[in-house]
Amino acid sequence: MNLVRAEILKIRTTSTWWVFGIIMLPLWALAVLYNWGTANISGGVDPAESGLSADQAEQLRVANEAVNVATTLYTSGQFLGVLLVMLLGAIIVTNEFFHLTATTTFLVSPVRERVITAKLIAAILLGLVFWAVTTILNLIVVPFVLHALDYSAQLGDPAVWRAIGLNALAFALWAIVGVGAGVLIRSQLGATLTLSIAYVIGTFGASLVFYLLTQYVADWFSKLQVLVPTTASTLMISGTELPGNPPRWVGAVVLIGYAVVTGFLGTLIVRRRDIS
Amino acid sequence: MIAGHPGTGSEEIVVAGLTKQYGKLRAVDDLSFTVRPGRVTGFLGPNGAGKTTTLRMLLGLVTPTAGRAGFGSRRYVELDQPLRHVGAVLEASSAHRGRTGANHLRVICRAAGVPVSRAAEVLDLVGLTPAANRKFKGYSLGMRQRLGIAAAMVGDPRVLILDEPANGLDPEGIRWMRDLLKMLAAEGRTILVSSHLLSEMQLMADDVVIVAAGRLIRQGPVDDVLGAMAGGAQVRVRTPQPAELTTALTAAGAGVTELPDGALSVTGADPAKVGHTAFAAGVELHELLGERADLEQVFLQLTAGKAEIR
Repeated sequence: MNLVRAEILKIRTTSTWWVFGIIMLPLWALAVLYNWGTANISGGVDPAESGLSADQAEQLRVANEAVNVATTLYTSGQFLGVLLVMLLGAIIVTNEFFHLTATTTFLVSPVRERVITAKLIAAILLGLVFWAVTTILNLIVVPFVLHALDYSAQLGDPAVWRAIGLNALAFALWAIVGVGAGVLIRSQLGATLTLSIAYVIGTFGASLVFYLLTQYVADWFSKLQVLVPTTASTLMISGTELPGNPPRWVGAVVLIGYAVVTGFLGTLIVRRRDIS
Repeated sequence: MIAGHPGTGSEEIVVAGLTKQYGKLRAVDDLSFTVRPGRVTGFLGPNGAGKTTTLRMLLGLVTPTAGRAGFGSRRYVELDQPLRHVGAVLEASSAHRGRTGANHLRVICRAAGVPVSRAAEVLDLVGLTPAANRKFKGYSLGMRQRLGIAAAMVGDPRVLILDEPANGLDPEGIRWMRDLLKMLAAEGRTILVSSHLLSEMQLMADDVVIVAAGRLIRQGPVDDVLGAMAGGAQVRVRTPQPAELTTALTAAGAGVTELPDGALSVTGADPAKVGHTAFAAGVELHELLGERADLEQVFLQLTAGKAEIR
């Protein structure tokens, strides 16, 4: 517990967290606008007359259901928010090596897995703060957006609240992935760049690869797309089961899998590594 | 045994058969020594002798290839509240650049379960109170060393380990540190200080452990090491009757050699004894000078040929 409090104090006594917080705000605003725009465009298309295949038309019809439009909007900011939380998680670790404080940290607590556990908890708490802030902002702004789209606020629908809750889980899990990745890539710059690039380029790259595989090799490849961590976290927060996609819990399982693997691997490596 | 109070013997640093292999390089090679409480022990060796690696193994930061290092019979990781038992200053620059000195210490207090108010006390101990709320990146090298010592003192430890603490300190700072360490040793604490600054060690250390190329060269009280190596202190004496004096001194058990400038160099006798022997033999003296062996000479003598770049 002392170690968790120390980790939180470490975060509070440097400027990184509020710099990231300030970066978060315009990104969140952008996400709301993007989701609004998307809902506006797809809402204007009639699935029956758009010349889409039956499957695509069905997907579009479900996506246009009020509850799904609402869950997307109420979880606005997830895509870039979890990226920032993951980076913060990584920085919590790489800071120790960048500023040569790992020595002091491990002198205070020579049982190193306790330090990593404390960092994981601190990172999760920080992730939840980011989730809470974006969620509060969404709850304030999104009813107006839904109104503009001719939907009601949808806050009576449990699916909306479930999506918001699962969104919290996504933020927490991405924080864990960040801490684990920070241990694996010790360089501050290396970790930040690798994670950002892998997250953004990797997401679109993987979508493209899976699209091509599905089109030209076999249909079942599309089922594997959930293995891409960002796809997994998006899947988790959909309002209803989406046709042509694995069920929501698969997204959660995939993301938990990534978190467990990186967290576990990171702890194992830190335990054995010489600190010099 | 009182809780938080490790048993007797744990104030003694024990290094036994310690070895660390980095690829083909044997950084530390079957090193054994002990460091006693109540004394300042200098850990001496040329750069690259394996001093830092040894200290890091002692503190559980680096895993030894073989052997063990610890406090009494316990390794660092086996200590209940390590910071209350052992304080260490390893790198001058070990704080987040954007964090203030006071916050750096508060983090350590938090993690160690020590009241956060202790931060102000140790800042005061090292004279950093005026810079407490300045960010670490604005600290001079000397201030960073002081902050490091403050961090090591957070748990009011019985054992203090410092790696090259004199680096970056100005003469005033070095003097301050010397006095602080002597004071702490006088309180019965165990103080181990690594350094390559020999003249400084001669002023500060009671005992020395000399290493080169990862191996132990010599260990013991500074005076013994100096005495044993330089063949004891020498006395330089000049007289118009060298033959008579040589006979008298030899009869008294001292060794005498004639120096190129005509003076005599006497070993195995201190200046008082040489003066007395001359007086008793009725020999006239023109010069009588006790020459203390210098740690630096001894050190160079001991490590000659062993300090090559590895």
